[in-house]
Amino acid sequence: MRWIALLLLLIALPARAAEVTAVLRLSGQWDTENRASPYYVAPPTLPASPRNDREDLQLSLREGGFLAQGSLRGQLTAGRQPEPGGVIQQFHYDGELGGGWGYTVGKKLMSWGVGFGFKPLDVVQREDRRGLNPPPLVGVPLLALAHFTADTAWTLAWTRPGGGADARDSRDSRDEALALYGYRLAAGDDLHGVLRLSRRRGLEAGLGAARVVGEEWTFHAAALVAGRYRQRLNRLSEDGGTLAAADPMIEREFRRAARLVAGAQWTGPAGFSVLAEAWYDGEAYRRADWRRLDELTARQRAFDSLAPAAAIAGNAAWSSQAYLAPNLLRENLLLRVSYEDDGFQTYAELLATPRDGGGVVTLGASYAGNRQRFTMGLRQTGGAADSAYAQAPIKRAVWAEWRIALF
Amino acid sequence: MCRLFLLPLLLFAAPALAADGVAQILRQADAYRLPAESVRVETQVELYRNGVLDKERLYTVYVKPGRRSLVLMKSPAEMGQKVLMLADQFWLLMPESQRPLRITASQKLLGEASTGDIANMTWSEDYDGQVAGEVDCPLPPAEVVRMAEIAAAPAKPRRCLHLDLAAARNGVTYARLDLFLETATRLPVKADLFVNSGKRAKEAWYLARPYEGQLRIMSMVLLDDIQQGRRTLVRYRSLAAKAAPDEFFNPAALVRNSLAGW
Repeated sequence: MRWIALLLLLIALPARAAEVTAVLRLSGQWDTENRASPYYVAPPTLPASPRNDREDLQLSLREGGFLAQGSLRGQLTAGRQPEPGGVIQQFHYDGELGGGWGYTVGKKLMSWGVGFGFKPLDVVQREDRRGLNPPPLVGVPLLALAHFTADTAWTLAWTRPGGGADARDSRDSRDEALALYGYRLAAGDDLHGVLRLSRRRGLEAGLGAARVVGEEWTFHAAALVAGRYRQRLNRLSEDGGTLAAADPMIEREFRRAARLVAGAQWTGPAGFSVLAEAWYDGEAYRRADWRRLDELTARQRAFDSLAPAAAIAGNAAWSSQAYLAPNLLRENLLLRVSYEDDGFQTYAELLATPRDGGGVVTLGASYAGNRQRFTMGLRQTGGAADSAYAQAPIKRAVWAEWRIALF
Repeated sequence: MCRLFLLPLLLFAAPALAADGVAQILRQADAYRLPAESVRVETQVELYRNGVLDKERLYTVYVKPGRRSLVLMKSPAEMGQKVLMLADQFWLLMPESQRPLRITASQKLLGEASTGDIANMTWSEDYDGQVAGEVDCPLPPAEVVRMAEIAAAPAKPRRCLHLDLAAARNGVTYARLDLFLETATRLPVKADLFVNSGKRAKEAWYLARPYEGQLRIMSMVLLDDIQQGRRTLVRYRSLAAKAAPDEFFNPAALVRNSLAGW
């Protein structure tokens, strides 16, 4: 299906009235492993991947309310076979029914609400902000009805139709849902509200707001409550076992979780900007969850003379899946300082987890020319030795991307 | 006795009359920039650095009364970006995330070409002030003549009204303007653009030519005082009366493709 859609896109490219663009992105990432981490697993249990290259040729076609956007992708990880592929990021039609009513059919990016490092109201799109140089977002299949006036908007969306047949499916990405988004511009403030009903997460309800004060300050806040959520836990850390013969990471369902974010940004006329944000993700691990996982991993490592090395490494690899969560701990603080001038942008970012004293620093710079953009950056984890970030299997990553708009 | 009552009335009324006069003059000058209250403008921007063309950008700008503007970026490097301005409130949409972001007036000024220079095409809604005097119209410097490919000087000298204007509302790109309009016609000639600190940020030259039977400002040259060596040529490729529906000026509607047909 994906290839048929991409083929249709390519066939449609010569349409003269349409806006057609092609953007080539070449990126590379070099990781430095944290061999002192209890979660680091040496080859061959997990392949070493100190370098990862990705090439994306993104093609877009826009004609009236129709948008098709897809990428031809080549991915090359050191020591592995190249992985060519393709992905349709968006393929939808926005139609108008008159009187401010409109509809959308197809696959579309649907980002809602406020936030920089964390966006609790993103109940449909779920953008991963922790990813380093992430590939372009992929939209969500949906049917939506929307109504707009000069200062209000409503969108009712049936997302991922037919995707929720199995409520035990472990992926949110397959979670069929009915979602309602409301927006109001009231006395200069942006007010957002979301409701989402799905088999997997039950009812989610959230509110958010953004306010501009003067010419330099913005403030934002959002909160979401979910009826239920799931967390991946290592069952051995609960039942007192030490080594498992099969993947011990299981999903546990919990009732009710809150997600909160609040932040402020100052931007001066000279191009400097400072952003501070704090958020709470009630679906992430607590400090106690990490302690139990750390103790389990330490017990497993202590078995090195009694159990096969592959069994110990395998168990550490399973536990390291905890690092795939959007937030490693519930409480997070972000400070970002940036400077922008004449196409140059630089920034420094500190994400801290105060509960365990961990953190990650990211430094980045970019230059935008007429058609080209060059970006590079460095990310380093650290903090207290027993913190989640300091024990991450990758301690440093450097990346670079060259992007050129071909037409 | 009657005169004694009239005198204070006149003293109160005089500034109001002067302000009305300036507002009328600014409306006449605006008419050279916009053919109607609601318009669609196709704009081409050339950014020069030390005399060399650095970047080229294309924009479609929708303007509606009530200080509403919507800027759609059309050049390949920026395709899909949108900036919405509702009086002194601003939103930016980046195509990668499709999330309308609330931005401040300071953030609006960042980036390559100030969006305010492209989207704000009227003075009468944003500024008031006074006529400072009548002077010989300033003549464009050689680099403006070269960039805009115009004659170095008009056939006969012109007289200009010199207006000293201050921003009447929050969120206006420039805090103060020294504006020069041809006295006889109110045709815009030149403006010095000052930021909040009182420093002159740019010198703008307005260049007119006939368009669809009317004399219109069809290009503008901006000489940057803060970023030395930075020059911007703005060409208005088309000006069309077009009233996009009000709901398209809703920040939440920026994510829709619907404007593509307008």
